[in-house]
Amino acid sequence: MKNNLWKLLAVTMVASLLLAACGGGGADTGGGEKVTSSGFVCPEPEVQMDVTSTELNLFVWTEYIPTEWKECFELVYGVTINHDEYSSNEEMYAKLSAGGATYDLVQPTDYIVALMIRQGLLQKLDQTKLPMASFNPNYLNLSFDPGNEYTIPYQAGADAIIYNADTVATPPTSYADLWNPDYAGRMVFLDDSRVIIGMTLLTLGYDVNTKDPAQLEEAKNKLAELVPGVKLFDSDSPKTALIAGDVDLGITWTGEAFTANQENPAFTFVYPTEGTILWQDNWAMPTGAPHADAAYAWISYTMQGNMFWLMLRDFPYINPSQAALDYAKDNQTELFDAYMNSTITNMPAEAIAAGHYIEDVGDATPLYDQIWTEIKGGE
Amino acid sequence: MLKRLRENKSSQGTLLISPTLVFMVGLLIIPLILTLIISFGKRSPDGNVIYTFGLHNYIRILGISTDCPGGQAVCFDPLYANILWRSLSLAFNSTVLVISLAYPLAYFIARAHPIKRNTFLFMVLVPLWTNFVIRVYAWMMLLRTQGVINSVLGWLAGLVGLPFTPLEMLYTPGAVLVGMVYEFLPFMILPIFTSLEKIDNSLYEAAADLGANPIRTFFRVTLPLSMPGVVAGTILVFIPVMGTFIVSDLLGGKQVILIGNLIQRQFLDARDPTFGSAASLILMAMTLIVTFFYTRKFGFGEEIVAA
Amino acid sequence: MNPYRRSLFIKIATVLVYAFLYTPILVLIVFAFNSSRTNVLFGGFITQFGPLIMDGSTVVQSPCGPFHWFCELGKNAEVMNATKNTLTIAIISTLSSVVIGTMAALALQRYNFKLKAFSQLSLYIPIVIPEIVMGIGILVLFSQVFTFLNGAFNLAGDSRLTLGLPTVIVSHIAFSVPFVTLVVQARLQGFDKSYEEAAMDLGANELTTFWRVTFPMILPGVLSGGLLAFTLSLDDFVITFFTTGPGSTTLPIYVYGLLRRIITPQVNALSAVWVLVIFSIVLLIQRLQSRTA
Repeated sequence: MKNNLWKLLAVTMVASLLLAACGGGGADTGGGEKVTSSGFVCPEPEVQMDVTSTELNLFVWTEYIPTEWKECFELVYGVTINHDEYSSNEEMYAKLSAGGATYDLVQPTDYIVALMIRQGLLQKLDQTKLPMASFNPNYLNLSFDPGNEYTIPYQAGADAIIYNADTVATPPTSYADLWNPDYAGRMVFLDDSRVIIGMTLLTLGYDVNTKDPAQLEEAKNKLAELVPGVKLFDSDSPKTALIAGDVDLGITWTGEAFTANQENPAFTFVYPTEGTILWQDNWAMPTGAPHADAAYAWISYTMQGNMFWLMLRDFPYINPSQAALDYAKDNQTELFDAYMNSTITNMPAEAIAAGHYIEDVGDATPLYDQIWTEIKGGE
Repeated sequence: MLKRLRENKSSQGTLLISPTLVFMVGLLIIPLILTLIISFGKRSPDGNVIYTFGLHNYIRILGISTDCPGGQAVCFDPLYANILWRSLSLAFNSTVLVISLAYPLAYFIARAHPIKRNTFLFMVLVPLWTNFVIRVYAWMMLLRTQGVINSVLGWLAGLVGLPFTPLEMLYTPGAVLVGMVYEFLPFMILPIFTSLEKIDNSLYEAAADLGANPIRTFFRVTLPLSMPGVVAGTILVFIPVMGTFIVSDLLGGKQVILIGNLIQRQFLDARDPTFGSAASLILMAMTLIVTFFYTRKFGFGEEIVAA
Repeated sequence: MNPYRRSLFIKIATVLVYAFLYTPILVLIVFAFNSSRTNVLFGGFITQFGPLIMDGSTVVQSPCGPFHWFCELGKNAEVMNATKNTLTIAIISTLSSVVIGTMAALALQRYNFKLKAFSQLSLYIPIVIPEIVMGIGILVLFSQVFTFLNGAFNLAGDSRLTLGLPTVIVSHIAFSVPFVTLVVQARLQGFDKSYEEAAMDLGANELTTFWRVTFPMILPGVLSGGLLAFTLSLDDFVITFFTTGPGSTTLPIYVYGLLRRIITPQVNALSAVWVLVIFSIVLLIQRLQSRTA
């Protein structure tokens, strides 16, 4: 008995090691041209930067960076990329603020940027090294980082209403419409206290970032009526439940809506009349980044039009880079047309103008969480 | 000095335990003390800790509030008590179900031919080596409205010519229970197997010779002798279920908050480590108390895991 | 009477429970051949061999045919790297915690020393503590210690102490040791000392007695503890997330993060490979055993 366990343990471990060892992957280098393993030809850097570091530590959202970028950067600059991921701003913040991690670049969403700046977690950026001119000015100089001292835009999007036009008889047009009893038991909501409480505040005509306890109490009571009708809360992959037909409508974000629509064109993304909740992900450099030179080179290279357009192909969000869109218009017309023809990625100007950004509410944060606990904690 | 080491049994013991102590004290006791200190503190506007001494976090969890709607001086807000109670019930129900499913299987393996026993045991372990979360996702694929089970049932109904409305299985408390039972079943099978394996076959023969029928044998011989395994398995199942929230989140659609969610959210979303620390300590205290009384009544499980 | 006789009720129950255990695994394996990339519903098998053709998010044709996702898995450097890290961490932490835990079990069962009660109690902490408390707690500890040491010894650049594989391994050892200790302790309880005494009477010294008599008898406990530690380490997410550093991502972190966006059948393929490898090993060993019996 014991002998067998011994053998088994040993063999399992050896087999597992073998499995791990046979890992392929990696870029091929063609003649003088640099080509990735998927056949993408790496363009030359428009601004050649001086890089002495041999590594670059990225701490980014899951599934948010095209593989070609990493392969090309490694080929062009000879820098090894260490790619760690997180799935929520809070996880990233908790890890950075507890210290000890040495990352060069992170991707905070708007509301957490101000907090990170206050806590001294981010360092100021040297704008001379960054392609500031390549951006659509609508995405620069926003309230969470005036003058873009600490961040540059990455991708933007909205948290709006999605519904299946085939199965929903009376389509919603506003957040307030979600309280329609016909929708009970058929909805998926984001599991995000700020977004859901926020949209309730909007239906009551209040500010989405209010700290007023009376207004929040009112929002809580209104939301408590709605929550029993929500079939599930999901901030990971709400499109799954929609595509699977478990739910017919709900609240989700840009990228998810686009993918759902691709699977089934009946899925429609509508920007509510109260004004959509908007968000923006940004690149930022943590204080004490050990390979700052490589970080600037990375941003400068990946933000080039002929590199940044890959985001249009892989991740359907609102692209703040004018350079990328211009490049796609001339060189990737199919992709460009698909992007421009969809109101999901090409958000109408009026909708953007009417939108609201979520901001950090400081000492009212536990109050929002308390409301969330009470709403979900009740039976 | 080496000679003194050989002579002195006490120093030998200390030497053997020293690496463990380094790890436990360094990596666990120090953070635990830190947690205790933080639990008495106040939250700064940005979510950091203001070190002070106050019992406000504990008062909040116990639900003692002075902000009473009825106008009394002090009243009780059951919010957190409900969450704790919900977690306890889920843990209790899951454990009972796990025991009922694990016992027959453990019995089967324990009384199997010795050579086949290993194989049967490892077949129990193999699912554990896929990823925990992926297994939960597999259940989602099974239980969905258009998932595997409904598709199969629909096809069967079609064969017989019956109309069929898909069962709503996912995002219900039932789904959460099934998921919990599934994830923790192997941890109960192994300890019960160990105690059952130790029972000599001659005991069964003796009982039969004395005229006991199978049911009597079970209640008078098998069950009492296997209790240490049941106890050990309960500890290995009950405690993690109290703290796990992934299963409830994925299979229950995050409709309810369990104590595990609450604590996780305090450290991440609410950025209130003071309240989170207090909640963690209360959870740990409750778990220790329940375990203490349980092992007092049923005896300390000697076979925590099989061999 | 046949000592291996079991009632029909038991046999039926066993079949049902095994079916319960393996149905999700089967579903996982079947979905590894899913032609639909979004992997929400089963879109059928990929039947055509040839260059990659996709129709929306469905794979119509692939160079590997139905094994498309297994090929993708082999090309996925990140998954391979994560798997390598996970196994490295699991193996090293398991071996270490087995050694440390066995020593601790011997100490607690056989010796009396000053910190005995304290040690026994402290071993319960990792079992009852919520993972996020342990994770953040250890992270804070490491970062304070590293900041101090980096400053004191003037370490800079690549020689700086920082989070990485070693910090993850150390935290895994921390939560594994108590399980190993408890298991070996259980095995030591009711241990028949007469064997050891006999060996000593026959002239063996303490070390030889331990190695030749005691250790083989507690080996099942040691191995079980090791298996448990290995399993716990393989699946850990929360503590690993907080103690890991750049480049040392593990499989649970990678998978858990991926599941948040889109669980392509690649992840299923990975699970399928693991299950099939382990299954073959188990059957092979059973074959060998029945031959020698």
